[in-house]
Amino acid sequence: MSGFNEDNMGSHAQLSSQFFGDLLDSIIVDVASECHRIARLGLDRNLEEEEEELRLSAQARVRVADPSNSGEANSKYVVDIFGQTHPPVANEIFDCMNCGRSIMAGRFAPHLEKCMGKGRKARLKVTRSSTAVQNRYSQGSPVSTYSPYSNSTSTSRLSNGTSSGAGEEYSNGTFQEP
Amino acid sequence: MKTSINRPPTPDAEEDQDHQPTLQEIINIKMIESGEKERLKELLRERLIECGWRDEMKALCRAFARKKGRNNVTVDDLVQVITPKGRASVPDSVKAELLQRIRTFLTSVSI
Repeated sequence: MSGFNEDNMGSHAQLSSQFFGDLLDSIIVDVASECHRIARLGLDRNLEEEEEELRLSAQARVRVADPSNSGEANSKYVVDIFGQTHPPVANEIFDCMNCGRSIMAGRFAPHLEKCMGKGRKARLKVTRSSTAVQNRYSQGSPVSTYSPYSNSTSTSRLSNGTSSGAGEEYSNGTFQEP
Repeated sequence: MKTSINRPPTPDAEEDQDHQPTLQEIINIKMIESGEKERLKELLRERLIECGWRDEMKALCRAFARKKGRNNVTVDDLVQVITPKGRASVPDSVKAELLQRIRTFLTSVSI
């Protein structure tokens, strides 16, 4: 009886929809009840902070991926994660412990090179310097200009293989083997 | 104390004595007794969580609570907020799956 079957299918579909609607309403009430609880207990405070952090991290990721922001070469001042900007050359000023001059931090390394003597001019400077201890001067060895430190650091740095005490000196460049 | 769920009044016993159960009620009882209703509800819940529907609804609730004030919200408010959007935004695949299972159940109990 096709007519009966059609009715059957029709009412099946309708019944199914009805039951589906009931199930869905029941789940909606569950969700509403849970959200009500969260709202009343103030548990959504934490959720808001998490959302905020997610949003900020997504923003940060966008900014990092953005090629126009990259490279100190592009802009003089780059902002770090705390929002601070740093000038490309460190500009704190202090005194060099070797020569006593006021040096800018960003220029300290090149200054030390000249001041402590990787170059010819530095070694010439040492002979005139009043703070340098002259006794360790030996030809051609850049080690000699480290003399201001000789009393405080181990002498094994200045002469090969000797393990003598800190105060002893070898004036003519000969070194005693242990 | 504010009532937060609207409940219909409990029907008196005498009124129900010659009441014929409708087809829907019969099926409902069969579903519950066989445990199928619970299974279907769990299945629907799982699908709705997977597709993010539940998170959307929770976000709606949170927004509403922020607007109205956390301590002024009632469950009924939230149900009213979610229901239209909730019913409309169930994914078609989820709905189809559930309807299929319900129809299978209906034929199996030979209605």
